[in-house]
Amino acid sequence: MSTLKPFSKIPELNSANVLLVENEEQFQKKLADVIVNAEKDVSVGVRLARRLPLPVENEETRPCIDLVVFIINLSFERSFQSVELSLKYVDPGFFLGKVCFLVTGARCWSVSSDRLQSVRKLATSLRCPLLYAEDQTVEGVNTAAARLLRVLKVTAGLTPWATGLSLSTLTRCTLSSDLEGDFD
Amino acid sequence: MDETTRTVLQRVVRKVPATRLREVLRTWGRVPARQLDLLDFSTSKFVLFEDVRSLCEVNSNRLTLKHVCELEMIYFIGNPAQGVWRACHLTEPDDDVMTVELRQFKEQFKARLTELISNVSVKIKKHDDEAVWIRIAWGDHFHRPNQLKPTYVVHHLQTPYVFVYNLSTKHKPLLYQALVLATRHGSMKDSHLSGKSLTSIRDFLMRSYQQAFPTKYARPLQEKNTAPTNPNIEKEHAEQEEKRLQLACEAFGEGNVPRLETATYKLETRYRGSGNETLNNREEPFRALIKFSSANLLVSLNHCVSAGMAETPVTPLLSSITQKGKNYFVITDKGSGNSSQSMVQKK
Repeated sequence: MSTLKPFSKIPELNSANVLLVENEEQFQKKLADVIVNAEKDVSVGVRLARRLPLPVENEETRPCIDLVVFIINLSFERSFQSVELSLKYVDPGFFLGKVCFLVTGARCWSVSSDRLQSVRKLATSLRCPLLYAEDQTVEGVNTAAARLLRVLKVTAGLTPWATGLSLSTLTRCTLSSDLEGDFD
Repeated sequence: MDETTRTVLQRVVRKVPATRLREVLRTWGRVPARQLDLLDFSTSKFVLFEDVRSLCEVNSNRLTLKHVCELEMIYFIGNPAQGVWRACHLTEPDDDVMTVELRQFKEQFKARLTELISNVSVKIKKHDDEAVWIRIAWGDHFHRPNQLKPTYVVHHLQTPYVFVYNLSTKHKPLLYQALVLATRHGSMKDSHLSGKSLTSIRDFLMRSYQQAFPTKYARPLQEKNTAPTNPNIEKEHAEQEEKRLQLACEAFGEGNVPRLETATYKLETRYRGSGNETLNNREEPFRALIKFSSANLLVSLNHCVSAGMAETPVTPLLSSITQKGKNYFVITDKGSGNSSQSMVQKK
């Protein structure tokens, strides 16, 4: 079992690859379909994983990953725990703008706000952007896919004058001042 | 027509949906078909009952309770999914168990039951699919049999399975004893299986549903009915997903599985967690009742496992539903298997 490294593979021309990690494997399938069909100019590859580390057998066929998206469904306790465990297998190089978190189910009534708060703390401590998505409706999936695609194009170097690191610096998750005291 | 017959007839007419009533009455055969066609089944049940009653009185001048019970049975055999059916198991068969035939069984059963309890009315009818249906109305020394709350028993001759509907604990030993003697078995015990659909329980117990068996090799491609996927989408854990699906099918069957509604676990185990002193050092066991319920439990559990919500390999607590053919379990403290319920996060 190896860690996922950002520069172990040579990037291909006009292609971008995103890795969607979700323990429940529901939302990632919907997202993947939309992402693949939405982009026509460049070839976008989507890898779906349940958790990290990724199987060693696929090492050869796996392309250079430009963006890792951790999808957290707030309805499930285990969703967050699984992501926390998976983070250990991500190379520090990825955190320079090639990781983002996607939260679903935040609108659900029964979900306690503590869960969302801990996700925000996690994203803040890793200096990563945190996106929110609605997974039940088609428009929600489309919007989330469009956002991810835009971020992916930047991190894959397909957008002129922008890099993943600069974008991430601008969009990274921040906490309000009273909570931020815990980290600094 | 006496009072009881009247009440039972009224009850049947009320219970049977108006759309089915014509068919049921026709099968019964006490009222000529021509007169049945003239009946208006769209009126209220009260008027309908009066019509049916007058028709019965005109055509068969001595309509007895027996006939009305038969009518009720005809409806019940056609629509057995009305309440909770329990399965029982006959054990310790005698040597001549295979020689039991219907006529003999009828006589024996009636004789044995009337020996045990004086006021009881029994009606036995054979259905097309080789099942013997028994309707028992129980009474006691001072009361006549209560025809309004009958017990139904379904037994397939030469099999060890008995299905019981609406049996009170008071009458349980009587019925068991009569059945054991009539079918030439040594004893009879509860199978701890219950459900709303009789056919489902029967299929489940006799294992007549599609099952998957462990194989060393992956299944041939044509069996997997997967939708075509985009070549740009690659699953990293495809093998594991396949394996989970296989394990789920092995544990809970695949395709059209029998409908079970509930699975109940009664825990009488000791708490073995850390950090909770009040629960940890208790003398008596920690009692709890865990109930899973769903419209179709086996499908739900299958989905739980194949979607990865429950851990694989499937815990024996869940897989023993199909393996042992039970849906009520008592788990006592023998060391293994406690607290495994936490494995299933949500159902």
